[in-house]
Amino acid sequence: MAVKVLILEDNPVARSFLCRVVRESFSDANAITEAGDLDTARRHINLTGGDRGLHGTDPFKLILVDLELPDGNGLELLSELRHYPATKIVTTLYSDDDHLFPALQCGADGYLLKEDRFEVLVEELQKIVRGQPPLSPAIARRLLTHFRGAGGGDMQAPDAGLMAATGFTTSRPVPIEKLPDHERLTPRENEVLTYLSKGFTIKEIASLMGIKWFTVNDHIKSIYKKLNVSSRAEAAVLASKQGLV
Amino acid sequence: MARVPGLSADRPAFEASSFERALAGRLPSRWIGWRLRLLVGTALLGCLALFAVIRALSHAPTLDAQWQSGPLGQPVLQASDDPRLQPHLGRTLVLVGGAGGAPLAPSAALLFGAPRWTVDDGERARLVQARRTLDALFAGGSLELGFDDGSRVRVDPAGRGYGRLGAGFWLLAAPALLVYLVGAVVFLARPQLRTLLFAVIAGCQSLSLMWIGLDTGRGLGPTAPLPADDLPWRLTLDLATGAASVHLFALYPWRFPRPALIGATAWLGAALAAALAWTGAAGGLWWWGQAATLALCAGAAQVLARSYRAEPHPAAAVMRRLLLALLATLFVVSAAVAAAARWQPALAHDVATAAVLVWTLFLASLLVWVPFLSRARHLMREFAMLAGLSTVATSLDLLFISLFSLEPFASLTLAVFVALGIYAAARQWLLNQLSGNTVLTTERTFEQLYRVAREVQQHPERDAELLGQLLRELFDPLELLRVPRAAGQARVVADGSALIVPVHEAPGPGHAGPLSLVLRFARRGQRLFTRDDARLTDRVVEQLRRAVAYDQAVERGRTEERLRIAQDLHDDIGARLLTLMYKAQDPEMEDYVRHTLKDLKTLTRGLAATEHRLSHSAAEWKADLQQRLTAAHVDLGWSFSFDEDIELGVVQWSALTRVLRELASNAIYHAQATRLDVTAGLERGAFSLQVADDGIGRAPQDWAHGLGLGGVRKRVKQLGGEVRWRENGARGIVCEVRVPHLTAPR
Repeated sequence: MAVKVLILEDNPVARSFLCRVVRESFSDANAITEAGDLDTARRHINLTGGDRGLHGTDPFKLILVDLELPDGNGLELLSELRHYPATKIVTTLYSDDDHLFPALQCGADGYLLKEDRFEVLVEELQKIVRGQPPLSPAIARRLLTHFRGAGGGDMQAPDAGLMAATGFTTSRPVPIEKLPDHERLTPRENEVLTYLSKGFTIKEIASLMGIKWFTVNDHIKSIYKKLNVSSRAEAAVLASKQGLV
Repeated sequence: MARVPGLSADRPAFEASSFERALAGRLPSRWIGWRLRLLVGTALLGCLALFAVIRALSHAPTLDAQWQSGPLGQPVLQASDDPRLQPHLGRTLVLVGGAGGAPLAPSAALLFGAPRWTVDDGERARLVQARRTLDALFAGGSLELGFDDGSRVRVDPAGRGYGRLGAGFWLLAAPALLVYLVGAVVFLARPQLRTLLFAVIAGCQSLSLMWIGLDTGRGLGPTAPLPADDLPWRLTLDLATGAASVHLFALYPWRFPRPALIGATAWLGAALAAALAWTGAAGGLWWWGQAATLALCAGAAQVLARSYRAEPHPAAAVMRRLLLALLATLFVVSAAVAAAARWQPALAHDVATAAVLVWTLFLASLLVWVPFLSRARHLMREFAMLAGLSTVATSLDLLFISLFSLEPFASLTLAVFVALGIYAAARQWLLNQLSGNTVLTTERTFEQLYRVAREVQQHPERDAELLGQLLRELFDPLELLRVPRAAGQARVVADGSALIVPVHEAPGPGHAGPLSLVLRFARRGQRLFTRDDARLTDRVVEQLRRAVAYDQAVERGRTEERLRIAQDLHDDIGARLLTLMYKAQDPEMEDYVRHTLKDLKTLTRGLAATEHRLSHSAAEWKADLQQRLTAAHVDLGWSFSFDEDIELGVVQWSALTRVLRELASNAIYHAQATRLDVTAGLERGAFSLQVADDGIGRAPQDWAHGLGLGGVRKRVKQLGGEVRWRENGARGIVCEVRVPHLTAPR
């Protein structure tokens, strides 16, 4: 069965380049839908069952989203598609954490830098789909601050479970009720993040922590998930505060 | 700067007690209730007393005539509205007779002299006798005046009426009332022993002034209701003033261990001297009296000096200076009176009258001024300077007249010139001494303000500390404390010994509630804080805040501008370069454009972020290199060490980023290396970078430096460092970069 892919990119040259990357990455025959702006993309998504992809018979499995679009920001679509069961990847020229971090918070599963070489992009894309999302030191640093702010001193916590009752005394602009454990970093994840923020590779981290390579990768995936969940919780709190829900 | 803690450590008692007092003792903010009523009552009482005196004076029988001192020391009729006396204008009065008693041959001393300031005992006894006789004559009704031409006139003494009390009386009655009121206000503001002592001093001096005022307009009239012999009375007033001063300064500003003992000693000495005057037992009574007064004054100065050594309260320093000035003036006045009596007997009474008047007025003006030392410095300072200057001028004038027999006019001119000279020469010094004028010039103040504003902007969390530093330099206080109190604005407390300055600290993690700085003892205890100082401090704090706000606004503006440029560059040029890259005809062109794109991104990132921490940058460099090298199947050996995690400036960050990228590109594309070893380190500000590959490149000295390597040279030079290439053993090239001072330029 063909994998359905949506590529949202306003630059036609870049779009065709990304098509080539996608085709190269997956040996399965894939059906690529191209969109030049947010509206077109939304229309295509609605055809496949709306933003949750529940009613559609054949939802997209992979969505590539550019951030800068003629009729808005790709982040808008990403946050609409929080529950859409597809691998969502941000393709961008922006490699700095200021741009990427919000994208990850909106539920992106990874990011590709458009100026990378073809081979690099293919490899990265395969990695993301396989569940090895990239994590640059800058983003790792941002994640650490994010979870430290939300979680209240995970770095010092020998056991995150014990901290649940006492660890939320620090004030935040948006006060979050006691977060369940699955939205807070475990000490291991914290350690992984700290190493990542210092520029260590996954292989190096594995040997430093004395664990397997894929265990490190699992931690990273889990961090991604928690980031998404925690930012969703944050958004929910914010929404209820503003009377939106 | 750090001299205060040591001092405090030396004197724990000083530390503990003084601060409590600085905050505890404060004037009641409003006059309410019994204080106000009592004050009004006291003022009314004073006015009533004054009115009674005026009434008695205007009704006392006197002669409608003005007299002058003749060449033979006898009164000469100068002017009169009485038609019976007018024919005798210019005649010398030789006899006063009447029903009241034996006739009297009047002397000019009767006109102007006061027994209090008559030096010679015999002369004083005669004067007192003459005054008693005159009193008796006036009490007896009409008088018979005999002039030197033998003519005799019968006149009837009558009351002067309110209009003819004389300007002198009014001019002295006003300050007398003022001093009395100041004494009352000070006492009622804080009814304590020390304010009571001040009130005693003020009361004595008020009476002295009143006494002189009553004496001025009398002419050839009765001394009644004042006693004929005023020496014991007036000397007692002066002695009481001296004793009260000693006692007062034993209590304030520093409380002696046994103030009562010192006070009792002073009071005992004063009482002894007074008793001596009352019994009239000793010869040379005037000398004794003056000596005792001077001794008490000197004693008070001594007590203050000791007090200042114990606790350098600025009030003690200022008061001691004033007291020394008083002492000197009193000494000069006494000397002038004594000299006049010795060498210029004809002028002795004039000199004495003027000298005493000057001295008493000086003292009175100080008494009015001292309680408000820390209120309005400027006005009071000028006033004090003026009072001091006129005192000096008059004293000198009198001294010249009595010593050198100069003409009054010549003497006055000379004295004024000398006094002006002294004033001009010593004005600044005097001002500094008197109130401890701030030594900082406006320019320096501005410079410091500017510097501190810069620092506060960079380290907002050190706001309080930096403000304290600035205030230290402004006022040079002996002590600077932080107290967790809120204060609306800068305020002078504890009679000018301390200044409370509110600190508006930026809310942050270290923010711990309201905070105020307390400065104590300005100019190392040499001067008092005044309201002007408080206002100045308020303005400084305000200016500081404004400067910081302005700086922040400018910085924000610059950041926004940079961000906008970066965004535009990135969005527009970046998108086009990307298209160009995708459309590239051959891989070489594609790489070239990709390279350009990366450079653009580095540039824009450098623009967008102002600072890059070295450790963060190293992590990114490593991750970036790792990714690129992995894609090219090149191994990376990475070693990075630093002894200080400095903030890299935009220039440094982008230069190092590009140097590293360039060198890596070289190894990947030209040298075809399989391994790249990067060793970098920062040690005491010196940055070193070594990039070694195992590629095919050799003989670097023969290379033609194209765009890439030229770029590396340029960047390294930009950092103020140098770069060189050499062969790496059997295979490859090593590039070494050294930057001697990699510190963030400000």
